[in-house]
Amino acid sequence: MRALVIDDSATMRHIVADILQELGFDTCQATNGQEGLDLLESGQRFDLACIDWNMPVMDGLEFVAAVRARRQWPDLTLMMVTTEGERGQVVRALAAGAHEYVIKPFTADALASKLVLLGLLRGQERI
Amino acid sequence: MSMLGAVERQQVAEIAQEVFAAMVDRAPGLLRSAPVGPSAVADPLYAWVDLGTVPASRLLLTTDADTARALTRALLAMGEAQPVSEDDVADAFGEIANVLGGNIKALLPEHVGLTLPEVSRARPSGQAADACGEALFAWRGRPLVISLYTI
Repeated sequence: MRALVIDDSATMRHIVADILQELGFDTCQATNGQEGLDLLESGQRFDLACIDWNMPVMDGLEFVAAVRARRQWPDLTLMMVTTEGERGQVVRALAAGAHEYVIKPFTADALASKLVLLGLLRGQERI
Repeated sequence: MSMLGAVERQQVAEIAQEVFAAMVDRAPGLLRSAPVGPSAVADPLYAWVDLGTVPASRLLLTTDADTARALTRALLAMGEAQPVSEDDVADAFGEIANVLGGNIKALLPEHVGLTLPEVSRARPSGQAADACGEALFAWRGRPLVISLYTI
């Protein structure tokens, strides 16, 4: 499994990538939605994208909308990982095409649980 | 009345403790309310995010530079002796302010925007015209202050 971690914070990319690597994912990182989109368009294949919402250049919601609009990556699972915790924001992200939503702060176990729900991880692989 | 009136100091403290337990320490109980004030923070480093309330408001996180480095090592699961760069510290400390601000924003009665975090050794400009609260903590015995005010 390959995961793309998109966040403008190097700290948060490090934290999310570390958890995913512990769970057996190969990871790649991008600092904003446009960088993430460029990686996808370069032909790199990912099973999962973990996406922050508030980023410069292209934010997470724009990234999700752009991925869904292109229809080139139907098997890519999109998971928002963000501080935007209001119910309305969650609804917006899911309506735009995100599959799951994780609110910061989160634990490694919470992230793993979401991946189990998404079918990207078996229960016994949890940290 | 400012929208910040909906936020109580106890809620700020609970959010801070949740953020530190999940993200910084990966264990509860290491961030505690403490009787230390901004004057006790020597060599301060500031991180803040602004909330799009009317009037605008700011969450300001203050600690000393050495504690900011320790926070960075904790966030990145680094050993105590491992060096961290100033960029690492600015990013990590700013991200803590970002997560705190995002969770406090969720307490407000309506959706507002949140700016990207800024970090500086200088206190940000702007008057604390309507201080809504200051929560004082000790993280592993080190001073940490969370201020929330309209600007």
